[in-house]
Amino acid sequence: MLILLAAHLVAAVLAPMLVRVLGPRAFYLLAAAPLAAFGWAVTHREGEWIHPWVPDLGLSLAFRVDTLSWLLMLLVGGVGALVLAYCARYFAPGTPGLGRFAAVFVGFAGAMLGLVASDDLLLMYVFWELTTVFSYLLIGHSGTARPNRRAALQALIVTTAGGLAMLVGIVILGRHAGGYRWSQVAAALPDGPVLTVAVVLILCGALSKSAIFPVSFWLPAAMAAPTPVSAYLHAAAMVKAGVFLVAGFAPMIAVAGGPAASVWRFLAVGLGLVTMLVGGWAALFQDDLKLLLAYGTVSQLGLLTAVLGFGTAGTALAGVAMLLAHALFKAALFLVVGIVDKTTGTRDLRRLQGLGRRAPVLATIAVAAAASMAGLPPAIGFVGKEAVFGALLGAGAAGWVTLAGVVAGSMLTVAYTARFLWGAFATKSVTVGSADTASVRARESVLGPRDHPAQDNHGVGDNRSPGNGGGPGDGAGPGAGSGTSSPALKGGGVEGGPARDAAGSLREAGVVPVVAVTPTVPAPAGSLLVAPAVLAFAGVLAGCLAGVVEGVLSPYHRGFEDAGGVAHLALWHGLGVPLALSLLALAGGLALFRWLPAWKAGPGLGGGVYERVMTGMDRLAVEVTGATQRGSLPFYLAVILVVLIATAGPALVAGWPGRTEFRLWDTPLHLVPVAVSIVAAVFAVPARRRLTAVILVGVTGYANAGVFLLHGAPDLALTQFLVETVTLVMVVLVLRRLPSHFSQRPGPWRRRVRVGIGVAVGTVMAGAGFLAMSARQALPVSVAYPEMAVPYGGGHNIVNVILVDIRAWDTMGEVAVLVAVATGVASLIFRQAQRLSRRGPVESPSEPPRDEPVWLMAGHTVEAGRRSTMLEVVTRLLFHVIVLLSVYLLFTGHDTPGGGFTGGLVAGLALIVRYLAGGRYELAAAAPVDAGAVLGAGLLIAVGSGAAALVAGGQVLQSAVLDLHLPVVGDLHLVTSTVFDIGVYLIVVGLVLDVLRSLGAEVDRHALARSADHDVEQGTEHERRPQEELV
Amino acid sequence: MTWLVPLPVIMPLLGAATTLLMFRRPRVQRAISVSVLTATLVVSTFLLVLSADGPLVVAVGGWPVPLGIVLVADQLAALMLVVSAAVTLCVLLYSIGQGGADGDEEHPLSVYHPTYLILTAGVTNAFLSGDLFNLYVGFEILLAASYVLITLGGTENRIRAGTTYVVVSLLSSVIFLAAIGLIYSATGTLNMAQLVGRLDALPDGVRMVLQGMLLLAFGIKAAIFPLSAWLPDSYPTAPAPVTAVFAGLLTKVGVYAIIRTETLLFPGGRVADLLMVAALSTMLVGILGAVAQSDLKRLLSFTLVSHIGYLLFGVGLASRAGIAAAVFYTLHHIVVQTTLFLVAGLIERRGGSTALDRLGGLARTAPVLAILFFLPALNLAGIPPFSGFLGKLGLIRAGADDGAVLPWLLVGGSALTSLLTLYALARVWNLAFWRSPATPDAAPLRSPRLMVTPTAALVVAGVMITLVAGPLYSLTDTVAEDLLARTPYVEAVLP
Repeated sequence: MLILLAAHLVAAVLAPMLVRVLGPRAFYLLAAAPLAAFGWAVTHREGEWIHPWVPDLGLSLAFRVDTLSWLLMLLVGGVGALVLAYCARYFAPGTPGLGRFAAVFVGFAGAMLGLVASDDLLLMYVFWELTTVFSYLLIGHSGTARPNRRAALQALIVTTAGGLAMLVGIVILGRHAGGYRWSQVAAALPDGPVLTVAVVLILCGALSKSAIFPVSFWLPAAMAAPTPVSAYLHAAAMVKAGVFLVAGFAPMIAVAGGPAASVWRFLAVGLGLVTMLVGGWAALFQDDLKLLLAYGTVSQLGLLTAVLGFGTAGTALAGVAMLLAHALFKAALFLVVGIVDKTTGTRDLRRLQGLGRRAPVLATIAVAAAASMAGLPPAIGFVGKEAVFGALLGAGAAGWVTLAGVVAGSMLTVAYTARFLWGAFATKSVTVGSADTASVRARESVLGPRDHPAQDNHGVGDNRSPGNGGGPGDGAGPGAGSGTSSPALKGGGVEGGPARDAAGSLREAGVVPVVAVTPTVPAPAGSLLVAPAVLAFAGVLAGCLAGVVEGVLSPYHRGFEDAGGVAHLALWHGLGVPLALSLLALAGGLALFRWLPAWKAGPGLGGGVYERVMTGMDRLAVEVTGATQRGSLPFYLAVILVVLIATAGPALVAGWPGRTEFRLWDTPLHLVPVAVSIVAAVFAVPARRRLTAVILVGVTGYANAGVFLLHGAPDLALTQFLVETVTLVMVVLVLRRLPSHFSQRPGPWRRRVRVGIGVAVGTVMAGAGFLAMSARQALPVSVAYPEMAVPYGGGHNIVNVILVDIRAWDTMGEVAVLVAVATGVASLIFRQAQRLSRRGPVESPSEPPRDEPVWLMAGHTVEAGRRSTMLEVVTRLLFHVIVLLSVYLLFTGHDTPGGGFTGGLVAGLALIVRYLAGGRYELAAAAPVDAGAVLGAGLLIAVGSGAAALVAGGQVLQSAVLDLHLPVVGDLHLVTSTVFDIGVYLIVVGLVLDVLRSLGAEVDRHALARSADHDVEQGTEHERRPQEELV
Repeated sequence: MTWLVPLPVIMPLLGAATTLLMFRRPRVQRAISVSVLTATLVVSTFLLVLSADGPLVVAVGGWPVPLGIVLVADQLAALMLVVSAAVTLCVLLYSIGQGGADGDEEHPLSVYHPTYLILTAGVTNAFLSGDLFNLYVGFEILLAASYVLITLGGTENRIRAGTTYVVVSLLSSVIFLAAIGLIYSATGTLNMAQLVGRLDALPDGVRMVLQGMLLLAFGIKAAIFPLSAWLPDSYPTAPAPVTAVFAGLLTKVGVYAIIRTETLLFPGGRVADLLMVAALSTMLVGILGAVAQSDLKRLLSFTLVSHIGYLLFGVGLASRAGIAAAVFYTLHHIVVQTTLFLVAGLIERRGGSTALDRLGGLARTAPVLAILFFLPALNLAGIPPFSGFLGKLGLIRAGADDGAVLPWLLVGGSALTSLLTLYALARVWNLAFWRSPATPDAAPLRSPRLMVTPTAALVVAGVMITLVAGPLYSLTDTVAEDLLARTPYVEAVLP
């Protein structure tokens, strides 16, 4: 089985290439794949294969061929091969998109094969969805036309929706049975409501796939597909999957009995009959032959579902016989329509004239197939329908009700069959007003009262564009895919000179003129006739050999408990009720055809509901998205904070300890920084000036440093102090280019909400902090740090040992963050690659004048009015001292307060001072290196030292202590983690340098450039003037 | 072989350092980036193989275990490493191809390479970390790098989108950091294995507060409704490869953190109902958002949010089947979502836009692109036999096994979301691929082979997941078993 499936896959993959090389003839080759499946089925009756796939999900590649799947394999393979062969002649060479089409078609056949042969329900679902996807691609093959696209999407959504429901149903059954094999599931069905739910869900899948009411609408719309696709899709594939599933489950459900069986029968039979009647009725009003057949299929699917779902041995046998019959005649008829369309250029039965006389062979084939459809002997359709009547007769009250429906449906079937044959082949002596023949009267009664505006929509088969005439894009489809049962006609465009004058008056009369099929239309090519002929006569043959067919199919219906029921397949059951019913159906149908009452239009199939659901869903989507996706950052933040309050708040209240010990402070000195912090924070909130807000926030940071200091952590305090300072400088650099006040001030109501949220978050956080601290039971790991620091880390400053040794991995990550941030600032300010070179030092534009005292290297580049000799002198004096201090902090940090991070910040301050005093050229002179390179080197040293330990055989970032005795310097206590710290130092320096270069120097340059423009244009941009005076 | 464990972090960082030093030599940068990420992929694969015998644990710096930081490469971490390394490598190649085609004007590659490598290091660090604060550091690394990448080029749109992204991310970091502070003050440790026992000993109320705050912080990163609105507003404006890697990996790091902490630190599914309600609303609100979009990139961003709901569903079930399915779905989703964003980038070059009303006729004019879109689109929509289906099936089965009302609702929600995903993507197909070609505004940009090949590789990788689904799923099942048992992890770290 895997080989057969692989053959389809390979054929599908090769198809585009084959078509490119061979043209449409490639279809003959491609037909080999389904033919092989057919051949296998002819030579085998059953088989079983199991390969594992995902055992944890219960998914296996389990295939099993029993009677039912064997029958469907024959059909899928046989019809598939014939249709493919038909395609070889149907499509003109050079049709665009043919390779794609061929690939999808073969894939479709493969998926269908897998579906019917799957023994695992989940595997069947896999193929089930694949057929859906392939049919989507086939229906939308010529997707340039909007109705086609919509039809494809509609089919996809409707069948997938059903499929997903079915999947859930399968999971329910499989969960109960402990496996997904048909046999496992059948052996261990759940009972009670669970089974009912599962059954309903599975029926959702089957009924949606088989276009059963109320979702029948997708199938006629799917006529957008090229005719061979329709033939296959209607006869053997896709829609048959649903029927197949019903047939597969029916024995199980019948055996299980109980309420689930009642629900099953009610739904399957009830909806099936409704579908049969509605579909048949709608078919009567179609003028497009293909559409007529499509509605006929809907009707037949209803019949099949009802009969197979009925759930007795007799109906089961009759049902599979009908299944076989339908596959044979429907494929044949579609192929006939394809030929009609190809030779005459239309499928509109009002425009076809006398084709039967001109193409007798074609007509014969059609009649043979149609006989089966209408249930006339000796075709298999007749045999099947007789069996249906017979089986239902013996099935009690439910059987009688069903029987009534089936007979009524059969009348409709006969009627639309007659209409089909008459429409396609009859010679209609049509002239308005001379309605003397019965057939014309019938026609007129349909069409007469209707008004046909000469509108040009995507109706019946003549909207073909010149580009793809006769190709797969034969683009017929019902209007807008909304279940329109009778597409409006295209009133104009009549060919032929003599008819033209009449056309106008005819149009006024509301009747469309008939196409005179002139002798110039070529007779259908002989080879095109082969496929429909084989199918049609197979139907007749099967009818004649009814006994053999029954013998072959009987294992299926023996699965029912009441095995050996009343029905048999035979051409002649003797004079009895079934025969009477057949005659009744025939007579009624013909009468219906002859005296069809005047109806304005056929019934719709509920497509409007689909449209409404989808439109409603779209609207819901827009509204939900509009409500949640505000595009407002404050709103998003508020949502997050409210969620924080909502999740942590209740837990906090619930977990609050009854008695609490609350100690306000260790020493009253704590009050000072805390009070400062609180006051600054409170005043920062209403601040209108940006600078005020920034400074006040900075004050809270300094106060925090004070808290650290009071807790005896000078190292942390120092770091916090430096960070705060450097941050303040950087923010101020940014503020130079922003308006001095916050631009938008929220209204009073919003401010209150924000304050409320803020206070609530603060309360929650404080409470959480208190709760967490009071819950501590175990000793913190840090207790062990002081004693470990010296022997393991080689340093006395625990903070530094933590940073560069114990948790050096964190530090490594954090310096990577610094590198990223520095890079980001540079990339934002410089934006483009070539400008990034300015990240490096800028050459001073002029030589310093010789007659002035030189305090700074680039002091002369600053405008005279802004120079401050005082600042220059202090800078001159302090710079090297600060740098020296930073290096000192770096190297002694392991034992005394300091370290690479602190040292780097101090060095950064030195650079800041230089920049403030002397501007960007001074900065370049102070640090004549590229900031990116400093960052890169720092990162390389820091990470490299960690990797070096790895190379040396230790753990990553492991440190070693080296105590060296150098001749002059004396004892040197070296810890390798100092190397790591040097990397950190460099990165911090690089960060400050980078920020100064971009937010400082480059922004200066922007400002200069802009003020130069400004001078030229004389003040067009007053309000957006940068606030250069801040620095 | 534990010396391999730190390499997925160390190597990208060294690469970042050298590419920074080589900023004037783009060709050298490219060579370094590609080789570093290739090496990362190889090392990660080794780790996956080695971790089958039990988690690999490294005490950084050789410090005794609860004192220093530990890196833990268990099977979950290794699995995530392999997938993320493969994805980052493909995206890197794609972006190199794009840069090569467009010149360096719009994408300052000298900044791009180091930042991208730092991002990778952050992701790998987050996966490997066995220490709660170090997990935070991993987040910070990848976030800082992502701030740079999302504003690359500095156009007005990107800055605006970047602002939303940066501010929301900073808030999540603050919450995360506060939660860590609280956890340390309550338990006195940050080592996750040691936290296991200590957190269990805490009173319920305290633990709920801690759990809630961590979930909130990770939930923002993972884009769980109602914390998800920032994502569709910020991702789509970034350059295609950046969006692709963000979509594939960053939210998944959040999901990974949720899986890790919920199973290891806060087991027993105490907040299961909360998680499942969040999962359901994330799925539905997300996918409705996708349906409402008319721009491909935005649409994909919403599907991203929506499908995070699936992952959360599995975590919320807190059963072995649920976690296994969630992990499997995560792997699948990383690959497929990245692929689709890369394809969106190709579509943008071909059609000049990602707005659906301006695209058309691509099936005819760009058949390869059509296949590259169609397969992952089906995969995302959970059409069998693709991996999206397998993950979804796993979740549905796990939900059915649970049997309570809420899981059943989620089963229904999963099916509905799957259908609507299909609807949204099929509409894209209808409009962009089938409809008559729109009038071309501009000549399509050339898509060099170096962009198409990595995309195709990811498409194939997505399909390959189906083929290896048997062993892969049993691996995720083992992962789930170990996660729920907790002992393998704890005993490996604290023997």
